[in-house]
Amino acid sequence: MKRRVAELHPFTVICLAVLTVSVATAASRWWLSCAVIALCLAIGAFAGKARELAALSGAIMLPTLLSLLMIHGLASRDSSPVIAAWGPISLTRGGVEIAMALALRTAVLVVAGLLCGLLIDKHQLVAAIDLSPAPPQAGYLLASTLFLLPQMMEKQHAIGQAQALRKAGTSRGLAGWLQRLRLRAVPLVLSSVQDAHDRSVHLAARGFPARGEHSRLRHVADSQIQRGVRWVALLCSVLVPVAILVPLGGAS
Amino acid sequence: MDMDHRAPAGTTAALHLRLGSFRYSEAHAETLGEIELEFSPGSLTVIAGDSGSGKSTLGGVLAGMLPRPGADQCQGTVTLAGQRIDYSPEHWPRIDVAGWARHVGLLPQDAGLYLSGIRQTVAEELVFARENEGMPREEMAGLIDELSTRLSLEHLLERDPAKLSGGQERLVALAALSAAKPSIIVLDEPLAGLDSRATQAVTSMITKLRAEGTALVVLSRTAEAWEAEADFLWNLAEGTLQRATAGAATTALLSKPKRPSVPAASAKPLLGFSRVQLGYKGASAPVISNLDLEVRAGECVGLAGANGTGKTTLLKAAAGLIKPTAGKVRVVGDAGMLLQNPSDQLFERTVAREVAFGLPKKSIKRDRVPLVLAQLGLESSAQTHPYELPASARRLVALATVLVREPQLLLLDEPTEALDSAGLYYLHGAIDSVLERGGAVLFSSHDERFMSSTAHRVHQLQGSD
Repeated sequence: MKRRVAELHPFTVICLAVLTVSVATAASRWWLSCAVIALCLAIGAFAGKARELAALSGAIMLPTLLSLLMIHGLASRDSSPVIAAWGPISLTRGGVEIAMALALRTAVLVVAGLLCGLLIDKHQLVAAIDLSPAPPQAGYLLASTLFLLPQMMEKQHAIGQAQALRKAGTSRGLAGWLQRLRLRAVPLVLSSVQDAHDRSVHLAARGFPARGEHSRLRHVADSQIQRGVRWVALLCSVLVPVAILVPLGGAS
Repeated sequence: MDMDHRAPAGTTAALHLRLGSFRYSEAHAETLGEIELEFSPGSLTVIAGDSGSGKSTLGGVLAGMLPRPGADQCQGTVTLAGQRIDYSPEHWPRIDVAGWARHVGLLPQDAGLYLSGIRQTVAEELVFARENEGMPREEMAGLIDELSTRLSLEHLLERDPAKLSGGQERLVALAALSAAKPSIIVLDEPLAGLDSRATQAVTSMITKLRAEGTALVVLSRTAEAWEAEADFLWNLAEGTLQRATAGAATTALLSKPKRPSVPAASAKPLLGFSRVQLGYKGASAPVISNLDLEVRAGECVGLAGANGTGKTTLLKAAAGLIKPTAGKVRVVGDAGMLLQNPSDQLFERTVAREVAFGLPKKSIKRDRVPLVLAQLGLESSAQTHPYELPASARRLVALATVLVREPQLLLLDEPTEALDSAGLYYLHGAIDSVLERGGAVLFSSHDERFMSSTAHRVHQLQGSD
């Protein structure tokens, strides 16, 4: 499974994710949203990413669900039956239904998006953009965005080690964490700016970003079938929601 | 390139530089004075000079990266690939750096800056410039094969460039630079941090490049390693060049180091590794396995080994930055460590504040700041920003931040890298002061001369793979 997923072109994965999210959102059926989420989790498990997918989805969806419940569940003023009440605040059935429906729609977007992020190799994605007819600046922008964070993490680790050698920022707990944040922030920003300045002149000397025809050593697997799937997926991601929503709009 | 004139007829030089002066924006003095240089195809020109003499600036001018239009002041003429570019206070030609780099390639002193940081493997990094030119994949594959065989890089091709050791990084950057096949290659300290095998690979590659007609320009603290091969030897001092003869171009130590006698076997051990295994999370194999090593009070021990055998990892474990995955590390007293890249160790806006960083406000060690600055010849730089100092002085500032704490165990990672002769003198003094007060020193270095003159004994690392 892992190998099969790796053989998929990054654009194919993105197109399928767009189709899934657009159809599930337009349909707005709880069973369809649940099925999509289950399917995403299953694909994640087959690809060996189940734990990361569950953890990241949970980290995003739990606060989202709680805020939706607070907005629609507790503060709802509809006339549906009250499930529980605490003084002026009451939890109504209608409010819970709205919160759950919105949460399910958001969950489809979050889980499918995260699965995309976990399945697609970022280097493959940058190479795919470089090899596509997109302007060279697109690959450059994506590469800068995707690789900036890991580089800054490496740098802050090096700064942290150097400061630990001087017994600075070694306290434990929240106070220690805040102290480390304060001590590392300025050197991290300054050294990142310095590094970007020093590196940019050598990147320019190496012709980056390319201004004309360019190539990539990295091979991004693709096929006629995958290209067909992408076009169909993109077309469907527009037509299916229109087909679902337009008759409903006409009926009302 | 914005080139104004045709070159004089009959010239065979790949590049001709006639510089009147060069001054950085907002600088009070000129960094480079009158310089005339010519590089013919296949020649090897070595320019030796201490840190701060203007070597890197000269490299920047040759590579078209300096002067920066509208900022630096430059007067002079460069003739490259048959075309002439004039610099004057009234006229700043705007240089297409990528176009210039097809003729002149520069490997900076910090070789890591040459690497893109956005490619996953060394193989991709090698052909990064060729990708941007649109070279077909098959040709790039052939180029990688050729380069990796020539520089013995086969084992590194699938590695992440961000996780290479300092020496490996330099080798990969040089290979990537030569992959672009410029007619002139400028190398700023090309052998710094390289083990003997890598040094051999680089020098043989230079010989081959010269045979193919590439002009090589080496900017180095010392011309010693190049005297036999060089066509032209120059000394750069205070921004001006003077011809040097073989032997005279080498910058010597200010005085011969006097290492204290070997400590008695009964001296107290300050550092002990017992059956230690060291590695990184997610790595397929440990970097070091079954390490047994003891360093006693008054002892100076050198760590030798090829690039990537774990010298830095061992030093970081001794400093408490890395926990061993097996075995025991015992450290008696305080340990202080000089990191390989001094920039990682500098955070403050003046040298004096930098040296005092992390010391408690009422600590008596704060009184030692002026003493340590004087010990390392940095008194006049106390109020200077560390990033404005030449590489050698910056390294000494990083050393000062360690010495101010009077560590019992001094750990030095490639301490001679970027140090000029004055810097070496101060480094020897610092090592002596630690040993004389009963401390111990453990250092890694590829500088064999420094190793033999400094270490009481050498521990050879083989690497676990």
